[in-house]
Amino acid sequence: MPAAYPLPSDLSPVTVANTASLLRIIALALISGAAIASRLFAVINFESIIHEFDPWFNYRATKVLASQGFYEFWNWFDPTAWYPLGRVVGGTIYPGLMATSGVIYNLLHALNLPVDIRNVCVLLAPGFSALTAWATYMFTKEMKDESAGLLAAAFIGIVPGYISRSVAGSYDNEAIAIFLLMFTFFAWIKALKQGSAFWGTITAVFYFYMVAAWGGYAFITNMIPLHALVLLLMGRFTGRLYVAYSSWYAIGTLSSMQVPFVGFQPVRTSEHMAALGVFGLLQIVAFGQLVRAHVSSKQFQELLLAAVISLGLIGFFGIVGLTYKGWIAPWTGRFYSLWDTGYAKKYIPIIASVSEHQPTAWPSFFMDLHFLIFLFPAGVVMCFRTLRDEHIFVIIYAVVASYFAGVMVRLMLTLTPVVCVSAAVALSSLMDTYLDPTEPSVEDDKSESSNTPSTGTSASRPATPATSKKTKKNKEKEKEKEASASAGSVLSELVSNVTSSAVAAKSATTAERGVFGMDTRLVVLLNSLGLLLFFVVHCTWVTSNAYSSPSVVLSSTSSDGGKNLIDDFREAYHWLRQNTAEDAVVMSWWDYGYQIAGMADRPTLVDNNTWNNTHIATVGKAMSSPEDIAYPILRKHDVSYVLIIFGGLIGYSGDDINKFLWMVRIAQGVWPDEIQEPNYFNRGEYRVDSEASPAMRDSLMYKMSYYRFAELFGGQQPVDRVRGQHVPVQGPTLDYLEEAYTTENWIVRIYEVKKDDVLGRDLKIANAFNQGKKRKRTKPMSRRKAIGA
Amino acid sequence: MRLLSSALVTLLTLTTFSFASSSSVLVVLDPSLDRENYSIFFGGLEKRGYNLTFRAPKDTSPAITDYGVSNYDHVILFAPDTKSYAKDITPQSLVGLLSENTNLLIALSPKQTPLTSLAAEFSLILPPPETPLISHHPARSEPQTTIPVTVSSSSPILTPGIPPVWFTGAPHALGSTPMLVPILRAPAESFAADSTSDDDSDALVTASEKGGEGLWAGSQMGLVTGFQTNVNSRVVFAGGVKMFSDEYATKELPSGGPPGNALFATDVAAWVFQEKLKLRIDAVDHRRVGESEVPKMYTTNDEIVYTAHISAYDSETSTWKPYSGIDDLQLEFTMLDPHIRTSLPPVPGSPGAYQVQFRAPDRHGVFKFVLNWKRKGYSYLESSTTVPVVPPRHDQYPRFLSAAWPYYAGAISTSAGFFLFAALWLAGDVKGERKKGSKVE
Repeated sequence: MPAAYPLPSDLSPVTVANTASLLRIIALALISGAAIASRLFAVINFESIIHEFDPWFNYRATKVLASQGFYEFWNWFDPTAWYPLGRVVGGTIYPGLMATSGVIYNLLHALNLPVDIRNVCVLLAPGFSALTAWATYMFTKEMKDESAGLLAAAFIGIVPGYISRSVAGSYDNEAIAIFLLMFTFFAWIKALKQGSAFWGTITAVFYFYMVAAWGGYAFITNMIPLHALVLLLMGRFTGRLYVAYSSWYAIGTLSSMQVPFVGFQPVRTSEHMAALGVFGLLQIVAFGQLVRAHVSSKQFQELLLAAVISLGLIGFFGIVGLTYKGWIAPWTGRFYSLWDTGYAKKYIPIIASVSEHQPTAWPSFFMDLHFLIFLFPAGVVMCFRTLRDEHIFVIIYAVVASYFAGVMVRLMLTLTPVVCVSAAVALSSLMDTYLDPTEPSVEDDKSESSNTPSTGTSASRPATPATSKKTKKNKEKEKEKEASASAGSVLSELVSNVTSSAVAAKSATTAERGVFGMDTRLVVLLNSLGLLLFFVVHCTWVTSNAYSSPSVVLSSTSSDGGKNLIDDFREAYHWLRQNTAEDAVVMSWWDYGYQIAGMADRPTLVDNNTWNNTHIATVGKAMSSPEDIAYPILRKHDVSYVLIIFGGLIGYSGDDINKFLWMVRIAQGVWPDEIQEPNYFNRGEYRVDSEASPAMRDSLMYKMSYYRFAELFGGQQPVDRVRGQHVPVQGPTLDYLEEAYTTENWIVRIYEVKKDDVLGRDLKIANAFNQGKKRKRTKPMSRRKAIGA
Repeated sequence: MRLLSSALVTLLTLTTFSFASSSSVLVVLDPSLDRENYSIFFGGLEKRGYNLTFRAPKDTSPAITDYGVSNYDHVILFAPDTKSYAKDITPQSLVGLLSENTNLLIALSPKQTPLTSLAAEFSLILPPPETPLISHHPARSEPQTTIPVTVSSSSPILTPGIPPVWFTGAPHALGSTPMLVPILRAPAESFAADSTSDDDSDALVTASEKGGEGLWAGSQMGLVTGFQTNVNSRVVFAGGVKMFSDEYATKELPSGGPPGNALFATDVAAWVFQEKLKLRIDAVDHRRVGESEVPKMYTTNDEIVYTAHISAYDSETSTWKPYSGIDDLQLEFTMLDPHIRTSLPPVPGSPGAYQVQFRAPDRHGVFKFVLNWKRKGYSYLESSTTVPVVPPRHDQYPRFLSAAWPYYAGAISTSAGFFLFAALWLAGDVKGERKKGSKVE
């Protein structure tokens, strides 16, 4: 057997196996280290602080859990949120994240490690990213082999698409959910492969954890049934599938119903019906199989087939009928918006207004996944070549997740793992081919080595730690081949035609293919290595520059390269905390609700838990109405302070004037007679300068944003740096509110709502009186005439 | 330092505020009015313990306020014809005094003065300048602008049975503000005319019927009107200053007998200087039935007891005494809208206490106990206590529900079935079972 380069031949297979496993452990440890380390940019560049918006609530909830215990947390009613409706927190959250932190916190304290709960929360996401890397390794190992697994682990460890949701401080549900997702899928594959009720139960347990941790659990709820259904339709029904699915569904569903926020949804909503339907179908099919095994009449089998189909149809129509009757809740708006991207904008502006619910821009695929996005299709195609049950899973996952990632930016997160897995499979196949020292020769001795290519590190015959497993695998494979002989072979032929130049043919075709010499190997390998290096550089750059900003603290770079921290948010929240009454209600747009609750500790009208559209629309109406209409709304809700974000001075584009149209739209959804979006445009243009429409100029939001703005420019024409427009020199005046605080860079402006006038006058009139304006003479009311007559 | 001293002064005024006996009153008296002519009124005040300081409108000292803090508890402004005042007396500064809990007694006149524009802020509508009140009834020897006005006894401010009072001055129409407290109404047969002669009174009626100024006539017009602000400071506008004078207090009525001016002036001063009809809520208290501590939060459907303790000011002893005289007090349990509105009756046998028991609504949220009692003449009683009403805890729900029997039956039958199956499996034919098991595998 000719070899391109010599291999040490005096090593015993045991040594090779041991070394390989040691190297694997070291590699995994290093990958975990890299995954954690690359998420610490935020802590190093800024500080150990909770990021963004939702994490602030999670942090606050975790503090309650840590200080008051689980039962108090479970029954926690938050009277400061959604004032005056309040929020039943225990019943409206996924408690998995807080429970995890709470357990870690208590564990550390039991070990006499007095770690602050904040640091537990900040570092939870990096910690779990290491676990995600491990879970991905296990998952990919099931797809191909350990080397692909290590590659996948390395990819997921540093890929920006996942880092964006799991940097230190990004204390959100996704931080642990991706680990749970990957591990549930791994357990499912394992259960399916082994037909093991034990692994099915483990799948269910982790599914329960996932349900308790993230609303995205519906993805698993539909992925696994979809996989089972596809296997069923491909004629791959086996007892293993039956055992794995049934044990997962029964235990998983029952346990998921224990989460209060989920409750009876698994049997009452359409999102969960697929899992129930497939469960029923599997029972029918299994029953059919059982009967077929006992009765060998062909006619009976046909009858059975018809019965199976009709039963399935009856079940399907039954579910449809129940939905129609209202027993099963129809799909929610968020679900529809996944199919029709224009749906949300039309009917539920509150969903469309969230930036992470926007369709994904193409460049962000490259930004988040770099070269993995190119390897991803190759990896999927590689899955078609072997097409075992688990490969079908990856293919389905890839298709579904690609679609969802294209629809919504935030679902890029669910695509990332499968991209890493597929890319790792593809890249590792490439590596296997080009690292394999075997030179093609005339002798046909490749048939043996084709099955399991050797790994890069050991570079010898593959280690066979579990021979029984391998034979089992082969057995399975034969079975599958029987089952899908035609489809599989056609596909693999197609695939090998496509990829013949890149990878060595593995099918049993007689044509002699292979790689000759070191130069060809080096060209490809060095290229791949270069790509990997660029990937690392890209990931590091993206992570440190784009995804590590806490967004609570902003930073800007001055011309000499120095860094300026813009800390207006915390300045304002701290002002609120120090200078206002403890029960002073603060109104702001819902984006800032969690932050106000978390940092300023004041009641808010609306927050990021957007459960009550009407309440949000009320705030939208107050913001977009003239002062005299807004004032009664403010007083009715006991609002003491109004907080707005204004970026016009410093050029911070995420400010409330840019979000203002969403407030208008959401308010219009509830009060179409009073608020109309076109009124806020001037001939189709959104303007804030002297050409702004009257409705815009009179709106509370506009007035609060530009109140006294012109004074900063000393008589010159003031410029709004975000909109790039010149606002009028004569700024708006306020009668019902007064400025309470404006931060250093004017990003946060806080206004105090005036109390009723002491003489019961309208505040506008009282203000005019205080400024010494003459009042128009009033006349006695006309009813006095009647007295005279 | 200045801040500190002003804070100290505030503290001092606050502490001295409730003692009428040591209350300080600034009287801004126009030099054209003879102080001696008002000796009955001012003397009566001094006798009742008020400490009067006199000052002309154009004097700059003593100042009413220093550093934004009022130096006096009450201010009497008897300068109805004065056109220009010292800098510290402007309509704005007078409203400022009111928000600082200083009370005002202001006399108006038919002349156009800065006070005319002040009256408009209190929703008093004054007739055009130089239109005094005129009445030809009853027949009398006095000029037609000097009118004996019958005092209605319905106002709680006045002592019942005051004889008619002499009045000279301008009437005013009352605006829509509910904070106005009419004290003295114009006689039904009186009207305001822009001349003291009678010639054009018919023209006035015609003009008003065609629209225009409106008719300034009849008992809807006010002559002396009080106003209680949102912070419970009080102000009284009197249409003319002469009704406080000794001359009018001693002038015999056309029907014979002494007029009620002196008593009327005393009553008005007593009200405006917070001697009368002054109430406050001492404490409110709420709890679950049968518990003694105020809970941090209620559960839906809890039985709640709410108690308010109200006392009234007794000017004779300068003390607050429990007051049970309110029979139309209401309590609201509010979240955006009142979910419960119930009467809050006085508790017989415990003076000053008002109590009601009610069931919290089956609705969680942040509720407020709202007490809002506003009656003309009386101090406003307002109280708002915020309490969260939360859903039951996880262990407060009923354990066994008859509606849940299908679930219980399911759980029990599955357990029993499993037990039976396990028993049969273990006791049954092992070989046969194994065979079957392997077949499925």
